Amino acid sequence: MVLVLALGDLHIPHRAPDLPAKFKSMLVPGKIQHIICTGNLCIKEVHDYLKTLCPDLHIARGEYDEETRYPETKTLTIGQFKLGLCHGHQVIPWGDLDSLAMLQRQLDVDILVTGHTHQFTAYKHEGGVVINPGSASGAYSSITYDVNPSFVLMDIDGLRVVVYVYELIDGEVKVDKIDFKKTTAATHSAH
Amino acid sequence: MYNQMVKKRVPEWLNSSLWSSPPSAPPIDDDRTQRYTSKPSTATTTSSDSVVEPPLPVPPPSSVRAEPPPEPQPADSISDHEDKAAASPSPEEFSRQSQLLAELSKKTINVRELRKIASQGIPDGAGVRSTVWKLLLGYLPPDRALWPLELAKKRSQYKHFKDELLMNPSEITRKLEDNGTSCDSEESKSKGLLSRSHIAHGEHPLSLGKSSIWNQFFQDTEIIEQIDRDVKRTHPDMHFFSGDSQFAKSNQDALKNILVVFAKLNPGIRYVQGMNELLAPLYYVFKNDPDEEYAAAAEADTFFCFVELLSGFRDHFCQQLDNSVVGIRSTITRLSQLLKEHDEELWRHLEITTKVNPQFYAFRWITLLLTQEFNFADSLHIWDTLLSDSEGPQETLLRVCCAMLILVRRRLLAGDFTSNLKLLQHYPPTNISHLLYVANKLRVQLSG
Repeated sequence: MVLVLALGDLHIPHRAPDLPAKFKSMLVPGKIQHIICTGNLCIKEVHDYLKTLCPDLHIARGEYDEETRYPETKTLTIGQFKLGLCHGHQVIPWGDLDSLAMLQRQLDVDILVTGHTHQFTAYKHEGGVVINPGSASGAYSSITYDVNPSFVLMDIDGLRVVVYVYELIDGEVKVDKIDFKKTTAATHSAH
Repeated sequence: MYNQMVKKRVPEWLNSSLWSSPPSAPPIDDDRTQRYTSKPSTATTTSSDSVVEPPLPVPPPSSVRAEPPPEPQPADSISDHEDKAAASPSPEEFSRQSQLLAELSKKTINVRELRKIASQGIPDGAGVRSTVWKLLLGYLPPDRALWPLELAKKRSQYKHFKDELLMNPSEITRKLEDNGTSCDSEESKSKGLLSRSHIAHGEHPLSLGKSSIWNQFFQDTEIIEQIDRDVKRTHPDMHFFSGDSQFAKSNQDALKNILVVFAKLNPGIRYVQGMNELLAPLYYVFKNDPDEEYAAAAEADTFFCFVELLSGFRDHFCQQLDNSVVGIRSTITRLSQLLKEHDEELWRHLEITTKVNPQFYAFRWITLLLTQEFNFADSLHIWDTLLSDSEGPQETLLRVCCAMLILVRRRLLAGDFTSNLKLLQHYPPTNISHLLYVANKLRVQLSG
């Protein structure tokens, strides 16, 4: 049972002052084993805050991040799943499933996490999953001002991942759940 | 609390008259030391042919060695060990052993009779300690015919507890779902939006709700970590409990499971440091049962016996009850009273003159049932008496503690606060049979 927090596009302090209070009260240290962050934090203080939640922190570089040394893409393995991380502004058209699928094949991962659009989406594609956790602070995006704060928590348990989606809609936290089982035949290995 | 098992040898001159007084006529003088001379013929034994003295003054190697032989060949190695000791089982022990075996082979066991025999000590070599303890704790009914049924019932109940309580929330939600609707079938579409389902009742991992299984899980994690730490520190000198072997690890896991299940089933008391020490002898004895089937089910059996054992002493572990009539302070006061009744001079010297507050030493003696004061083999002998005495474990424990004080009275009377405290917190190796004999005499005194 591994809990992985996926969030990003906070744009603190330029477009938002902080995470919503209701989110912050839920995010306490000691529960989460890994954090993957799509980027655009943008400052070191946010990095430090995330570090206090969980020491295992992975970040991909967004175009407004002040720290220039974050990688453009990152892959990691958690349990039975391979996860890929990228901010997403590099993939055009922004948010397009087919283009993201190309990136997923390139990185050869089961779960691809990208951001930039500030809209939560979760797609299934060829035995893999493409997730966009949205913007955790509700910051406006390059496309729209109408953004609900959201983030994602994944519970990886063997071959099954349960994706919990946390959204702040009209001041209330709404939690949804998505189930995904990895089919072991997805790899192109010799039979 | 977790001190080394190193005991300093007591110089001969300090204890000589106490140990080696020969059996004599009932005491008529007022010299207190002589009152506690060992006199086997006045001891309450059921075997009429025992005239033998208690074991010799020089402690046999068994009481100095830190552990009975380790490895998984329990019954054999214990009897081997016994042979290596000062003498092969004395005639008295043999007769006790045969009495025990005789009693145990009956169709309906007379538990009162069993208590009488067992209270003098269960010979290590007989391999019956496991069964006798189970009978004494009421885990096995006296009627032999009911044993298979009882055991099967209890063992399956424990398994049920484990399955229910040791699951993490992921598994629980998965189970609930599998019973309900099946999730999105991936075969239907290979591409497209994944469907979302709303969560009711706040059952998500970050939930802070009191009834949320996730929240409870994270709160329990603290206790589980504490249990884990204590289990790893239990008896570090014994191969059975400690070390890198697969055997030790599986024993540690068993201890951990029992304590976690107990903590979850008893939210009022949960886990308190020290419970692991009470659990260890039980598990050791049951795991070393010569019967393979019983040894394999040791974990389940130990759980229920542990619950039974703890039921008499629970209140000692509850902090809120510390100052109440049933709490640990009141028990320590009772010990103090007992000492005052039997040996006022010593009591006065200890509590008033040298101001050795009994809480400094008796707390550990009482809450941990003397497991930390003697080596493992000796504490098993003491537990034989504690569990079998008809007065009940707590009363018997107080008498044994009182006897412990009286046996070192000379040194205590000669010492000041520092040396007395040091002595009592590192109690010297003792002839256990003699100690239990004295403890028994304290009872006789009271009614006489």
